[in-house]
Order: sequence, then structure tokens, then C-alpha cells
Amino acid sequence: MKKILISLLLILLVGTAFAYVDDALSFAYEAASPYVKKGFSVREDAWGGDLGVKDQQAVQAQLFKGNEYWFCLGTDVKGAIISVNIYDAKGNLVNVESSRAGRLSSVRVEPQRTGTYYAIVTVHKSSQERTGWALVYAYK
Amino acid sequence: MLNILNAVVAMGFFSFAANPLHAQKPPETVDLSSFPGQSIDDVLVPVPSEVFIVLDKLGNPNWRSELRGSLGHQTGNRAQVALLLGTVIAEGFVAVEAEDSEQVKDIGRRVLTLSKAINVEKAVLERSKSITEKADVKDWIAVRKEFDGALQDVKGAMQELGDDDLAQLVSVGGWIRGTEVLTSIIRKNYTTDSAELLHQPALVHFFSKKLDTLSNKRLADDDLVERIRKLLSAIAPLIGDGEGAVIPQENVTRIHKMTRDTVAAITSKGA
Repeated sequence: MKKILISLLLILLVGTAFAYVDDALSFAYEAASPYVKKGFSVREDAWGGDLGVKDQQAVQAQLFKGNEYWFCLGTDVKGAIISVNIYDAKGNLVNVESSRAGRLSSVRVEPQRTGTYYAIVTVHKSSQERTGWALVYAYK
Repeated sequence: MLNILNAVVAMGFFSFAANPLHAQKPPETVDLSSFPGQSIDDVLVPVPSEVFIVLDKLGNPNWRSELRGSLGHQTGNRAQVALLLGTVIAEGFVAVEAEDSEQVKDIGRRVLTLSKAINVEKAVLERSKSITEKADVKDWIAVRKEFDGALQDVKGAMQELGDDDLAQLVSVGGWIRGTEVLTSIIRKNYTTDSAELLHQPALVHFFSKKLDTLSNKRLADDDLVERIRKLLSAIAPLIGDGEGAVIPQENVTRIHKMTRDTVAAITSKGA
């Protein structure tokens, strides 16, 4: 009985985690939609997770010189303030343009070199202890 | 979906205090070493189109000449089928660049057949239909998106079946075929700018790590998998030491030969 209860609890926790990451993903795609009209292709793959207030997470991306990218971040938490910034392999900021609207945050990058870049996601403010986030990118 | 899963699983373990000033203006520099390795180790694998469109900007590649005459033969070996599926999806991106509707439709059907062989057919059934419909009306941006979606759906379905290892092989197969095409085009009209597109150390490291930690012993011991481990080890020193390092033509040719031979091994094994 104890094993069953633990299993049910785990299923519930994992299910809940996916639910808010999926919601955040919908917002990330919403953040990316204006760029589709400008000829950008939005990737189907995505990063996601959750963070506490004032926490950060870095994820890696392979970017190609000659392309233009928009990184679009969304959260499921209403009123939360989140941001994404892009750094090169030496830790230098490479944002060209950024925008923030409600629970969406986007940043444009034009890599000067082909290689590894780091997207750093930050939760600045949130009413929740953990804030779900999802990050997608578009390229052209 | 794997990246989402990893990030969810990692929640709470890899969190760091942020500077409150980030809300106003991000810092010009950050110390990347202050982030734990595992939180930044996962990387989204770019689809071949991301690099192919740069080649389009640099010149006018003859994409049709890059298309393979045969999409390869499948065996009963699951590792081979997964790798082959990756190469076939990558071929879809080449066919999109070549704007070859018939080839795109053939590839869409082949993706379905291969997916059936490893029990993930349902995941790509709609994608396959959509590829055909969109190729018929030559909506290339939409076809490209469907191939990207097919790749993610296949990998997602494999992960749901507990076949994470197999999902990685699909990604690796696609990357190898993409790199074969990339190097084929670069070597025909070499410039340092085009060769720089091969500077992908994080991806090579990521794939090496994944293949070194396959949990399925049968897959881990597979001859093709072992061959690809050696391929990645051989490629790593050829793609530039640091950002902006010049990748000489000789390296491009060597990478092309290695990836071409590996694709041939994947597509012809047991045939």
C-alpha cells in the first residue's frame, strides 16, 4: 500500500511539473509568433523547467554566424517577471534587441561567431515559490 | 521533450541567486563557471536547416546534387533503424532546400515506415500526411517545420516507451548526415567563413557523452554505435580549438570523408 501511495504521489508530482511546463511552453510559442510573420522558423524542441524567485539557469545553444535568432521565454505564472539573456562562450552579453510583455520575454541575437552560446533564464519576481518556464528559439 | 524532462528533473538542484539588477539591465559579462556543469550540459540539437540556410546566404549550393539516390536499407537492428531514421529526416531538410516535392514525399513515407519498425508510427502519422500535403503546395517553410516536428515526435514517443537511448541515436544519425552534406558543400567552394560552420564543440561533446552513457547494453555494444563513438573522437580536434579558429580545408575534407563513410555504413548495414 505504501509503495502504491508513493507511486501515485510521484505520478501526481511529475504530472503537475509537466502541466506547468506545457503551459509555459504555450506562452513561449506565443512570444515567438510575431517573428514567424517576419520569416523566422520556430524550433519544435524547447528547454523548460522551474525556478525559485531570483534563481537562474543556463542552457547551451549551438548558434551559426550568418543566422539571426529570437529566443522567446514564457511562464505560466501571471504577474511573474522573467528574462532571458544570451552570452557567448566567454561570458559576454550578445543581446542585440530585447522585449518584454507580461509573462513573455524575448531577445534577438546575431552571432558574430559560430559556436556555443548560453541562454540564461532568470526569475526576477513571482507570486509562486516555483515558477515554470519554457524557452524556444526561432531562426532565419 | 527530453530537454524539458531533464530541466524538470533538475529543478531545485541547479538554482543560483540572481542579481536583482538583472530586472533592469543584464550584466555585460557573466562567469559561466559559476553555473553547475549539469545545468548547462544539455544542448538543443540544431536541425540541419539552421546551418543550410547560412550556406544559402554564402552562395548558391546545388542542393539537388547533394540528395542521395537511395534512402538506405533497414535491418532488424534497432540501433541501425534509429540511426537510419535520423539520416532520413536529415535528408528531408536537404530535399526541402532542393525544393524537390517528390523526394520530400518519398522521405515523409519512409519516415513513417521506419517509425513503424521501432513502434513509434502513431507519433508521426499526422506529420507524414502533413509533409505530403505541404510538399504538394510547395510550402517549404511549413515542410521544414513538419520535419522538425517529426523528429521531436519520434524522439518523444521513444522516450515515452523508455527508449531514451534510441532517441539519442536518431539525433546522432541526423547530425552525421547533416554534417556530411555541410562538408560536401563547403569543400566545393571553401571559405573560412563557411568552414567556421563546423565549429560545433558542444554538440560533439554532447553526442559523445550520450553514446558513452547509453544504459541499454545491447545498444552500447552495437558495432555502429562504437563506430560513431570513434567518429566523434576523430572529429573533435578538427573543428577548431576556440571561437573564431580557422578550420582548414584539409579538415573539412577529412570530416566529409569520415561522415560520408559512416552514413554509408548506417544506410547499407546488412543490406
